[in-house]
Amino acid sequence: MENSKTNYSRRSFLKSSALAGGGLMISFSAFSKFGFADKINKAGLPEQWYELTGYIKITPDNIIKIFNPNPEFGQNVMTSLPMIIAEELEVDWQKVIIEMGPHDNVKLGPQFSGGSNSVRMYWKPLREAGAAARFMLMAAAAQTWKVPVEEVAGKAGMLYHEKSGKSGTYGEFASKASGIPIPKEIKLKEPRDFKIVRSSQKNVEGLKIVTGKPLFGLDYKQEGMLIAMIEHPPAFGMKLKSFDGSQTLKMPGIKDVFSLKLYEDGFEQGGFDTRTFNELLVVVGNTTWEVMNGRKKLIAEWEPIRETKETINVFRVGKQEVTIPAGLESSESQYQKMQKRAKEPATVLRKDGDPETAFKNAAQIIERTYNAPFLAHNCLEPINFFAHVTDDKALLVGPHQAPGWIEPTVSKILNLPADKIEIQMTRMGGGFGRRSYGHYLTEAALISKKVKAPVKLIYTREDDMTYGIYRPMYTATYRAALDANKNLIAFHVKGGGIPEHPIHANRFPAGAVDNYLAEGWEIPSNITIGAFRAPRSNFNAAAEQSFLDEIAEAMGKDPIDFRLELLKRAKENPVGKNNDYDADRYAGVLKLVREKSGWNDPENKKYSRGVAAYFCHNSYAAHVVDMVTKNGQPYVERVFSAVDCGIVVNPDAATNMVQGAVVDGIGNAFYGGLTHKDGVALQNNFHSYRMIRMHEAPKKIEVHFVQNDIDPTGIGEPPFPPVFGAVANALYKSTGKRFYEQPFSKELNNMKRAF
Amino acid sequence: MKQHKETKTNYFLPVKTIAVMAILLSGIALMSSAFNQKSNFTDNEPILDKAAKDSVESVKAFMTVYKVLMSPRCMNCHPSGDIPLQGDDSHLHAMFPKRGKEGKGVYAMKCSNCHQPQNTPGLNTPPGHPDWHLPPADMKMVFQGKTAGQLAKQLMDPKQNGHKTKEQLIEHADDGLVLAAWNPGEGRTLPPMSHAEFKNAWITWIEKGAYAPKGK
Amino acid sequence: MITLNINKKDYDVEVDPNMPLLWVLRDFVGLVGTKYGCGVAQCGACVVHLNGEAVRSCVTKASRAVGQKVVTIEGLSENNNHPLQEAWQEVDVPQCGYCHSGQLMSAAVLLRENPDPSDQDIDDAMAGNICRCGTYLRIRKAIHLAAEMQRKGS
Repeated sequence: MENSKTNYSRRSFLKSSALAGGGLMISFSAFSKFGFADKINKAGLPEQWYELTGYIKITPDNIIKIFNPNPEFGQNVMTSLPMIIAEELEVDWQKVIIEMGPHDNVKLGPQFSGGSNSVRMYWKPLREAGAAARFMLMAAAAQTWKVPVEEVAGKAGMLYHEKSGKSGTYGEFASKASGIPIPKEIKLKEPRDFKIVRSSQKNVEGLKIVTGKPLFGLDYKQEGMLIAMIEHPPAFGMKLKSFDGSQTLKMPGIKDVFSLKLYEDGFEQGGFDTRTFNELLVVVGNTTWEVMNGRKKLIAEWEPIRETKETINVFRVGKQEVTIPAGLESSESQYQKMQKRAKEPATVLRKDGDPETAFKNAAQIIERTYNAPFLAHNCLEPINFFAHVTDDKALLVGPHQAPGWIEPTVSKILNLPADKIEIQMTRMGGGFGRRSYGHYLTEAALISKKVKAPVKLIYTREDDMTYGIYRPMYTATYRAALDANKNLIAFHVKGGGIPEHPIHANRFPAGAVDNYLAEGWEIPSNITIGAFRAPRSNFNAAAEQSFLDEIAEAMGKDPIDFRLELLKRAKENPVGKNNDYDADRYAGVLKLVREKSGWNDPENKKYSRGVAAYFCHNSYAAHVVDMVTKNGQPYVERVFSAVDCGIVVNPDAATNMVQGAVVDGIGNAFYGGLTHKDGVALQNNFHSYRMIRMHEAPKKIEVHFVQNDIDPTGIGEPPFPPVFGAVANALYKSTGKRFYEQPFSKELNNMKRAF
Repeated sequence: MKQHKETKTNYFLPVKTIAVMAILLSGIALMSSAFNQKSNFTDNEPILDKAAKDSVESVKAFMTVYKVLMSPRCMNCHPSGDIPLQGDDSHLHAMFPKRGKEGKGVYAMKCSNCHQPQNTPGLNTPPGHPDWHLPPADMKMVFQGKTAGQLAKQLMDPKQNGHKTKEQLIEHADDGLVLAAWNPGEGRTLPPMSHAEFKNAWITWIEKGAYAPKGK
Repeated sequence: MITLNINKKDYDVEVDPNMPLLWVLRDFVGLVGTKYGCGVAQCGACVVHLNGEAVRSCVTKASRAVGQKVVTIEGLSENNNHPLQEAWQEVDVPQCGYCHSGQLMSAAVLLRENPDPSDQDIDDAMAGNICRCGTYLRIRKAIHLAAEMQRKGS
């Protein structure tokens, strides 16, 4: 591919589509080798593929192939995004072949999975791509049949001219169509005419998953491929001092032991170039188990790091100098530091009215502090990446959420132009934000370059869990001022974190309270952090939604009614500017969940019920969780969820996402937590990092979507944060006690011991 | 589910156990002078050499035995519920494997699916034995939560000890799974004494009349 | 060299008999459907059948499998049509998909031993398999559906 890879824009998309005349499958042969699509093998590879846009290829014998542009990490884009194209292209969904697209930001757009953005950012371009291709096919048929294009119809992969009774397959006109310029104006379907979108379609890789086909990065293999592992320092705040690999080299299958530097001094990092350790002690060998064993014989000396300053070009923020402090941190002392820091002045993030006076005049002040630990992503497929770097090019294959973000880094590190770097996206065994940080890809590339061979870098579970890039450790103190009539007159949140605060200052209830103050503070750390399924929100929704429950109780109000009153205020007479939510849609999910859960129905009184709602990543979600006591433990037996994410492209898959988010939320609320002692992560595998399991998952999670024709927004993250709040509120009903410390199981166990 | 109700008590058991132990230990002197204790063997059992009976020595030996039996390496597989325990804090075994009828687990969660014929190398890996199992459902041989007196009586009751005779009990000290407690895999603590010391106390307890410490 | 019978086929592999079966399968035999998730028998991603039992291949030495019958996800059915595989697709269970080889292999033992499992039986059988995406409800549903399909002989 000789296209220079620039950032995606509508313009470049249209341009490149017009340039791309015919194309052969050959350019993607590496993919077919990786074992994609039995379907294709059965059909036999067609000789000629006509590429109509970057996303669509059609052969003369009418095999229609649609490329998914975005990395699949379980959010269903491999199915949902092609559905959007197929809808406008007018093809038989059962007959199209779906494949993962190559990394090509020009032809295929931004190509990142994160921020619940996949469907949102591709909705329009993919519809346009599908519609444009259909128009080009229609135009080709019109030219051939010598009829006006308006009289040609495209349907289920066929073209028809009703008046003359002429018809033909898309394939027959594909060659001609590829020469027709992309139309300037593209008419898209009305939502009411959708046939594929909004009707549930099965996961296109379902069969491959249930039959164990090689789909994941860890499954990727090449002839002569070596296995590499990195021995990380035993603690945050440590680095490699010296090593002796002689014993390792004596072990069977071991090829090499060496150390290398990931970034040279002064390297300007991009916002997603986060890495925890820069000096890498690497063991390379023939097979995984041999390298695991060889590693055990390493003799390494580690030393404390010194405080360093690094230049990081932060995503959406710009260039920043960041201090990485020295020291071996412990959760306990971090917690104390946070308590101390919370009492000191902080940065004002938003202020409406006169909160100080309101609090001074309050008849009652409610103040509560919420805390949450670091969380590890624990994607079930451990971090890994394949790299084959030679003097003039690099092939990189594996699980990554944003190849376009890591490519410039790899280009700088390897000193290779971007067009000599090919990144292939494999299906990911989970991502949750963790795989936005591509240090492991760069590591693999450098190792391959050093050993001059194709290499698969593998992190063991322990490497993966103890490496860092966690959800930050958070705290927030909420204060509410009530007047003598129990009206909420002021609201104050002061949040902090290590090393990042959680506050979204313009979120609800900002805009609904006359006097409002949001503040934030941060404590630097050498424990690295990164995006974790709905960053910040996943803490806020727990804290704020628990707090609102307490205020409602103090005011003697039903928790849903109370929220709806606030939202009514925010809609009718909003306080301040930049309130980043739509009060109507927010209220909509609360009303829907109230109705569907039978919130006030007497037969539900037997449950300890908790409600929470939250807005993030442009979507709205509310849950009612129904808790019972099972085997002496609180257990969430049922959940009702209401979500407004606009048009739902693949309803059953979206339902699956919401159900998964609920289970994930319950699991993390009860059990999630990564703690440290003297820099050492105290949890390093699932024996000590408890994950929610089958018997702890609810019996029923009923998901309802608000029905509207609004362009779709995200679904991967928004349902996750409010689960924490709903669980906390149900726990209060169940135990009579408010829970302020995550994970909640810690306090539950203490309660039991107190018997 | 009944079995779960029973395991609910796990969280406060260690505290209770320690308290019980303290009371028992301080009571040993008292009990030693109480010669009116009944041997756990009934009079019609010919195997017991009456001349060797010594309730003081026997009870003393059992208190040593008890320390081992209540250590995590033994107690963890003699839980009060139907889920084994794990770790030095004897928490419920992660992933809640169930006892099953034969004590070998159920369905995809059979003991030997993870517990190999030998210990798996490495930290936090499953310890192993060719016959890894819990006591069967009809003979649960619960240690967890038992006082020394209760446990001694249970051990000598053929209806509760797996129908074992005195000889079989003595032999049981060298049973493979019992021995496995002293080879628990990397990173796990050993029972509070050597196997030889344990065996010695075990045999002394039985030979001297298998007296149960007084108390509940 | 050891000989392993995997999915009804004999493989001669030049490996240390102490090597976990997982890595023999993945690195030597080329069957990568069996997944590595934790390496310490906690997550269940590596479950294979050894003489019909759902062993965790990450802690099962290759030597234990010599002379025995190993079945992996690739050999669960002849034509990708084990009722569980069909039910899994019908219910559209997977999200990321990584854990499902192990989930299916565990569920297959459950269904063989208990053709009509209750929710409690499913909990008892499946609590050893972690799904990070949280598809547990669908796994439960798919097992019930597969049981039904199996009973009806479809």
